[in-house]
Order: sequence, then C-alpha cells, then structure tokens
Amino acid sequence: MKSTQYSEKTLEHFRNPRNVGTLEGPNVAVGRVGNPVCGDLMDIYIDVEDDRIKDIKFQTFGCGSAVATSSMITELVVGMQLDEALKVGRGDVADALDGLPPIKMHCSNLAADALHEAIKNWRAGIKPAEAIATPVEKSCHPRPAEVVEVEIANLDDYKSKGVYTRVDDQTALAGQRVVVLDTGDRAAQLAIDLTDHTGRVVLMTTGKEPSVSSAVRSALRLSDVKLLTEAQPLELKGEGELERIRVHALNEDEEYELTADALVVLE
Amino acid sequence: MAPVKPADEIVYADYQSSKPVDPRVVEAMLPYFGGTFGNAASLHAVGDDATAALEDARAAVARFFGAQPQEIVFTSGATEANNLAIIGYAQRNRRKGDHVIITEAEHISVLNIAKYLEKNGFRVTHAPIDLYGRVSPKKLRARITDETILVSVGWASNEIGTVQPIAEIAEMLAGTGVALHTDAVAAEGLVPIDMSAVPVSLMSLSANDIYGPRGLGALYVRKGVQVAPVLLGGGQERGLRSGTEDLASIAGMAAAAGIMAAEMPAEVARITAIRNRLVERVLAEIPDAHLNGATLKPPGGRLPNNAHFRFDGVEGEAMVLSLRDEGVAVATGSACSSKTLEPSHTLISCGLLHEEAHGSLEFTFGRFSKDDDVDRIMAVLPGVIARLRALSPLYKVKTPA
Repeated sequence: MKSTQYSEKTLEHFRNPRNVGTLEGPNVAVGRVGNPVCGDLMDIYIDVEDDRIKDIKFQTFGCGSAVATSSMITELVVGMQLDEALKVGRGDVADALDGLPPIKMHCSNLAADALHEAIKNWRAGIKPAEAIATPVEKSCHPRPAEVVEVEIANLDDYKSKGVYTRVDDQTALAGQRVVVLDTGDRAAQLAIDLTDHTGRVVLMTTGKEPSVSSAVRSALRLSDVKLLTEAQPLELKGEGELERIRVHALNEDEEYELTADALVVLE
Repeated sequence: MAPVKPADEIVYADYQSSKPVDPRVVEAMLPYFGGTFGNAASLHAVGDDATAALEDARAAVARFFGAQPQEIVFTSGATEANNLAIIGYAQRNRRKGDHVIITEAEHISVLNIAKYLEKNGFRVTHAPIDLYGRVSPKKLRARITDETILVSVGWASNEIGTVQPIAEIAEMLAGTGVALHTDAVAAEGLVPIDMSAVPVSLMSLSANDIYGPRGLGALYVRKGVQVAPVLLGGGQERGLRSGTEDLASIAGMAAAAGIMAAEMPAEVARITAIRNRLVERVLAEIPDAHLNGATLKPPGGRLPNNAHFRFDGVEGEAMVLSLRDEGVAVATGSACSSKTLEPSHTLISCGLLHEEAHGSLEFTFGRFSKDDDVDRIMAVLPGVIARLRALSPLYKVKTPA
C-alpha cells in the first residue's frame, strides 16, 4: 500500500481542514508535538471554559495524514469535558477518518498527543508562549541564551582544511556549504555577506535565537542565511578535508551529521 | 469528493519516474508478438529470423551509445543491469581486492546493492557530493586504496538532476585497474553518451528512459571487462544473462534509440526551454522558494529536464497531494511519501537540513510535455504553497521588523 493511499474522508479533511489557526486569551493553552526534522510539527490550541473545550484551533506542518488528523480531532473534541477529551486517542482519530495507511499510524497520527499535551499544559498553568518554546521531549541539556565556548574535540585537526578562524577573502568560499558559528554580530554579518558568494550559508547557534543585536537580527531574517538553532557542534569529520559536522540537537537530545565544506569560528 | 481529472487533462511533470512509450516504438514492437515470435536460440528458420532481429536491435542500441554490439547485454531493466554490473564485477574480481566506492548521489538500487556487498564481505565507501550534488574527482581519488576494484558513479542524479563529471572520473581511473560503473538511466536521451569517447567499464541503461518499453534494460560491458552472471540458466547473452530474450521489447529499445538519435538535439532544446521557464517563474513568483541542485547559470551541470525546488515551511507529500487534486503530477523527496520514512539521502548529502529536505518538489519534463504546461502549473502552484503555509506553524513571512 502506498503511503498516500488515504481514505476519501482523510483526503476531504486534508483539502478542507477545519479550525485552522491559533487562539489567544486568558483561558488558552497549546500543545506542541512532533519535530520538523521528522517532517511533522503540530500545535493544538484550546480555549477552556468550565473545564470544557469551548474552542479549538490547530496549525500543522506535515503530510496529508498530519493535516487530516489535526483537523479531525478538533471536530471530535470541541465542546467536550477535558477528562472526556483525554480519553480520545490516536486510534479514535484514525477510526473517525475511516483508517490511515499502516505506515502513517505511528508517524503522522500525533493529533491526540498534541491535544493531551494542551490539556496537560492548561492544568499545569503553562502559557502558550512557554509551551511552544519548550520541547516536548524534555532535554537534560542546558540551552544557554548567551554564546557558549565552542568545544569541538578535533577542531585543530581541520585548521586550514575547512576550518576558518578569519575570512579575508570571501570569494574563496564561493559555491561552498559554509557553516558560521554564532559568536555574535560580527559572525552573523559575515554570514549575511557570504550569501553574495555562495548559495548555502548556515548560522549555527546553541541558543533558541542567534545572540545578535536587533538590527542584525532583522537583517538576518531578510537574508538567505539559514538559521540552525539549538545546535551544538561536537566533532568534525572528513577524509583529509572537512566534509561533515556531527551536531547535537539540543532540543531533541539527538545527534545527526550536517554536510559542510567550511566551518567559520571567528576568533 | 474533489473531481478526479481524466488522464489526458493531467499535467504530467514526473518523467523521471516513468515515461510514456512512444507510439512509433509500439508500432515497431508489434511484429514480434505474432510474426517473428521465434526463440533466438533455436536452430530452425523461425529461430534464425529471431536471431537476425535480435542482432539488428543490439547493433542499433550499441550505435546510439557509441558501443560495439557485443558490448550490449540485454536485461530486464536498469535495476538488473546494476545488479549484474556491481555484484557481477565484484564477485568476478574479488581476488584483486574487496573495496568498492559509490557516491552519496546514487539511486536506491545502487545503494541497496552496495549494502548487499557489505553483508557479503566487501567494504564499501561513499564519496561525498558538493552543494550542487556533484562528486569531486579529487575526493573520489582520495578514497581509492590498493584494495579498490570498482567505483560506481551515476551519470546524473535521478533526483536533483546533477550531471556528474563522468569523463573526468573515467580518465582518472583509466590505467589504474579500477573499473568504473555508471548508472546512466537518468541521463540517457538528455545528454550525449558516447562509449567510444569515455572509458567507462560498465554502464546500466533502461529502455523506458528513451521512451521504449518498461521491463527492458541493458548493461554495457566494455570488451575485456570480466563480469560473473547473477542470473543463471541457458547461457543467453554471452552467458551473462540467461533467459530467452524478450525480442519485442528489445526491438522496442532499438526503435527508441533510433528515434532519439534523430530527435534528441531539437527535443532537448525544447524541454530545456520549458524547464527554464518553470524555474524562472517559480523563483520569481513564489516567495521563499529555492532551487536544489546545480544552477541554471554556468557552471551549470544540470539535466535539461529537471527542476527540483524546496519551499520553506511546507511538507512535500502535502504539496504532491494538493497538486494531484489540481491535476498536476509531480514527485517529492520528502520522507512522508517514502517507504522508509527517511528524507532523500541525496538532499541531506547536499547539506540540507531534514526539515528542508521534507519540503522538496521535483518536476521533470519530457517528449510529450507541452509548452503551456508551465502556465498550467503556475496557475495552481502558488495557491497550493500559500494554502499549506497558512496551515503551517513553521512558516513566518519574511518582513522587515
């Protein structure tokens, strides 16, 4: 069975999703689940009155199933008592959609989890802004807002083999995949300037936002620099020259490898 | 229920996945179902007719690729050709070494064959690709050891359309004793392929990719290159591929090669113009859209039919589903549409983050693409992207603060 062989009801919810959007107000809570790295991210907002879901909205980045399950759960639980809504599980959502392709049952059926998270956050008094900022999987690692000292085990092994502590000639990086470590305004400005020479510049920061002034932050937002937040470089890899950076995703507590030709760590 | 478009109203922009068989090819195949139906191995006159037809077809296919007829081995498709080339060569030449190099831009069939070799005692190294998906000959060379017997580099990426420097790699390997295999399926009919000019040892081909029938392919085996068969039986195809030859399909591949030889220059120019117009319009009319793979401007190095995009904040399967409703057939490298739920390994190796690879969309054009296909795509694509972005918590419009 193809992963996209959805029931007509699933397709209908994907085409015309109900209750898209966000909610605001004193009685609003939100639950966020998923991870854009895996291709799914879901926010479910609930407005609670007398322990009942008065209103519900969602925003979802994901495949057809991710969108349809989000839409379906908002229909299933609107008006419900919170305790009752907590009993609505993944299976109920899939059933209400006349089933999901087997491969999607686990990966893209997170709407019930997001709803439960929202109810939990409401009961714990966690405000939406905080809930969206806090990762679902609790990380045991600190996420400092300030610049941390870069400690890459084998940084020196790749000096002049892809690692730069200064960039005098930006044209030398033409066409390369450049990762600039966030060490403040100067690094961010360099990242922006480098986009004139190459199509791929990543600004990597351990924080949730780069540690830059508000002027540079706006310039970054308008630039082609790709921001990679909550990422800690651990180790450099490559045969003779830098080819990959092993990265710790602080918000997921997972490790992955990012392909890169150059790493700029300004002195 | 959304209306389902009839097939002839669909804008088909997924030539990389499958191509229609050219009606002239179908015509050329018909005599081999009833009239010339013999087994080329039979000794009677009916068999002789089949033998003559088979060898004519072999010569026609060889001619198109600048090869000698005896260097063409017909197979059931390019997947089988890849198996025969890589497993067959590695096993036959094992005493010379146990090391094989492939690249990070290979088709899944090559990747899985390489995994099979690893399970059977070979060592496999992956050569990296650059931002544009191009293999660096220098980095490839750095991975060659005394134990290396085979390097496999696809002529072009089936996914992002990057054309590899095959001639340069072949020249580099010539005389070293290391064989070069290339899976040329994505490139055939789109860029010139001439075995008399490029010293490749083994090359996998598919009939459908030059608008011939599905279920037929060929392996080019350069004279003197030793390969062990992987399919055993009656010893057809010089013992390299047993099984009675599928004469109708083979005649179809020969006809397809003949048509392609005559029409390729004009066809490629037309397809390139369609593709270029799509790229220009998408990048100009859809915010936060990016072209993956090689640039259209020099140095270039991109298949003429390929446009591979990513759109910030949108997931690929959702785009494909929405475009399906709008009557546009395209592909994506998103995990959510794959069997493994892993995003495209090629995009990740190009340096993209997982969330970016999930937002990819691949358009490939071909012989029957129409000049107004781009207008029809652009009549719906911006709306699809905008609708999905409106649903997405990830997409934030870039506006000055």
